Amino acid sequence: MQTIEFKQLDETLYYVKLSNGLEVYILPKKGFSKTYVTFTTKYGSVDRTFKPLDEDEVITVPDGIAHFLEHKMFEKEHGDVFQEFSEYGASANAFTTFARTAYLFSSTENVLKNTETLLNFVQEPYFTEKTVNKEKGIIGQEINMYNDQPDYRVYFGTIENMYHNHPVKIDIAGTEESIDKITAEHLYTCYNTFYHPSNMVLFVVGAVNPDEMIGFIKENQDKKEFKDAQEIERHFEDEPTEVAHKSREMKMDVQKPKVYIGLKAKETNLSGEEMLKHEMCVQIGLECLFGRASDFYTNVYENGLIDESYVYDFSLEQGFGFALIGTDTADPDKFAELVFEQINKVEKEEVFAAEAIERIKRKKIGFFLRALNSIEFIANQFTRYKFNDMNLFDAVPVIEQLTVDDIKEAFKTILGESQQTMFKVLPLNERK
Amino acid sequence: MFSTIEIAKGVSLHIRQSTQFKTVNLSIKWRKPLTVKDAAERSVLSNVMQHSNGKFKKSAEFRSYLDDLYGTVMYFDASKRANDHTVVLNVETVNDQYLAENKVLDDVIDLIQTAIFNPNFENDQFISTIVEREKEMVIQRIQSIFDDKTRYAHQRLTQLIRPNHPASISANGTIEEVKNITPESLTKAYHSMINDDKIDIYVLGDVDVDAIQQKLVNALTFKDRESIPYPEYEESKPEKDYFNEKQDMNQGKLHIGYSTPIKFGDEDYPKMQIFNGVFGGYAHSKLFMNVRERESLAYYASSSYSSHYGLVYVVSGIEPSNEKKAIDVINEQLEEMKNGNISDLELNQTKAMLGSQLREALDSARGQIDIYDQYKDLGEEFSIDKWRERWKKVTKEDLQEMASQLKLEAVYFLSGKEGAQDANN
Repeated sequence: MQTIEFKQLDETLYYVKLSNGLEVYILPKKGFSKTYVTFTTKYGSVDRTFKPLDEDEVITVPDGIAHFLEHKMFEKEHGDVFQEFSEYGASANAFTTFARTAYLFSSTENVLKNTETLLNFVQEPYFTEKTVNKEKGIIGQEINMYNDQPDYRVYFGTIENMYHNHPVKIDIAGTEESIDKITAEHLYTCYNTFYHPSNMVLFVVGAVNPDEMIGFIKENQDKKEFKDAQEIERHFEDEPTEVAHKSREMKMDVQKPKVYIGLKAKETNLSGEEMLKHEMCVQIGLECLFGRASDFYTNVYENGLIDESYVYDFSLEQGFGFALIGTDTADPDKFAELVFEQINKVEKEEVFAAEAIERIKRKKIGFFLRALNSIEFIANQFTRYKFNDMNLFDAVPVIEQLTVDDIKEAFKTILGESQQTMFKVLPLNERK
Repeated sequence: MFSTIEIAKGVSLHIRQSTQFKTVNLSIKWRKPLTVKDAAERSVLSNVMQHSNGKFKKSAEFRSYLDDLYGTVMYFDASKRANDHTVVLNVETVNDQYLAENKVLDDVIDLIQTAIFNPNFENDQFISTIVEREKEMVIQRIQSIFDDKTRYAHQRLTQLIRPNHPASISANGTIEEVKNITPESLTKAYHSMINDDKIDIYVLGDVDVDAIQQKLVNALTFKDRESIPYPEYEESKPEKDYFNEKQDMNQGKLHIGYSTPIKFGDEDYPKMQIFNGVFGGYAHSKLFMNVRERESLAYYASSSYSSHYGLVYVVSGIEPSNEKKAIDVINEQLEEMKNGNISDLELNQTKAMLGSQLREALDSARGQIDIYDQYKDLGEEFSIDKWRERWKKVTKEDLQEMASQLKLEAVYFLSGKEGAQDANN
């Protein structure tokens, strides 16, 4: 077991890679009574075309399958896993993103027992045609729920606008039609390919004794047999830099129009510290241009073009990335015009003033220090960073070193006019 | 947990030294009896105080200064609990020891003093343009509930079963009351809040208790105040027990309201907490296991206990054509509870979850402040063990009794398909 110390943050991280390939991280937190454990596979909704374990042909599986699989992991021959967690006072959950599927629990007691339940239920798949078909009604309602949420539609519509081929444009849960095609056999194929321990990370944070926990996990894993680790072959079509659609809209029963501007990232093939640095630079640049202390914000606020729904964000993963700026507004076109105007300034004026950048860097450092109070944030973000070969605890030193030139350079990658898109959700013309 | 002193009559300061967090948290809560007019005024007031102050007259200046203080978080918010309206100022700042240099805490306390006692006035009043802009922000916030069908359905059901009652008064008031606000009325509301409200000040972090107490007593010069009497709230009832409404949407939102005589702090309150847990509070509960897992009718099916108002809500998102079936399955679960068909497992799971959740809540600074703030009204020292002891005593028979005391108030169904009629209200 290795220990990694982060002196400035007063944290010690314990790490071990088990013989089956599973990487285990443990972060004890003083003064906390709960423990939060996440068991995450590097497998998300975008992993739809791949070479299954021990096979030669690349296949494409129905959309929404990673999320469907996540749901079905909880049902076993003997019943529902939630029951077991509840019995030992643990709140369990799971989520699927574009790039990951995470299973987790938090509890203040019986942490070893609950860790065992977590490891075992994720490593003992049980799928039958009957249980698979039963889930279709449940997930169908989940899809319907999201489809009725205008904030989700405007967010997702913008992503769909940006991408020609990349499966990030496909809804994580799929559609009612696509999930109808899913079979138990599909689930086993995906499970066997992506749930090998060597493709997974276990992160334990909170009230935990690292030696005891590591010993317990090792013992659990040693009892199980796994095939040798294999490299997973994923396939993605080439994705052009320009967006697929410049502007689209849809109508929904909303009070006020919603608009998102998307800026498609050109640089999506980074990892490690380079990626961490790039991501921080673009986020800081975005904050400088669109944050609450910016001229842009003052202008749109004073002219009544935004309300409390206003957001801006940059996210980056392997193969895709985008900045989004959006709001509810009575005049979406005017808002979009001002956003584009602001973006165009970057190449003509010195918008990234040294003083402003220093201030935003401080804000961002403060954000990370605050976030380290949240063991949920640490567990979820640490794993995301890890899958991209980055280290969450490097964020503060990396931010400290960033220069204005770094930010200018990184920001160029989302600036092209052809990378810009807009999506609107508009109210119905007539009220019923 | 917290040690308390009264710094003026009606103004309490609660401090807790703890090394658990990397930040220092402060909360100041102003409370007064809940009315629609006050809610509207104080909601806009918290926005206006959040916008700027006498020292940082532009919002961007105020935000920039907070960024400089290592992204210190500082925001005013309006909320309600039971029959009180609360304006809260929440502040979170990094603990000096994690920074290579700089001392931020003193600057933050100065800024808190400025934000509270030095408002952005012109001629002793809030500035009209800012007031108008922030009125608009609050109006948008009220309107935006319409776009979130789950929140909208919850709000409609509460309005239908408890009209003109604190349970259905929004912490933001109504659009009409917000529109009525003027810089003059808002300035009056500000002075009333500073001078008349009951105030609780919380500090939590790795602080020197005596030093911070002295600093806050010097900075927060609140005067003595008397308690404000509550108005007479009328008993309100729904006009009928079934309502439906149509909107352009896919899913049907089924919301059911029940009442119980048991409220927060009553002798039987722990029994109601367990009742709700077995009925629909968790993923092991009857509603989840039957509406979702057995019948595949929904993605979510749960209950919640609004203990300050003695209300229990059941919510589920379903295919509109399954309305009757879903109601039947929900009723069936309540019947099971009335008949005492409750397993030891269900009972033990719920007790374990309640205990665990309460302990978990104490792992966040905000959680510690909010739990202490809520439970201190019960007039006893808060302890997890005390509550565990109370839950431990709860039996199946107790839950049967709780279930029998539950009274259906109304079913509300929001959907886009089928031949539903417009809401009758």
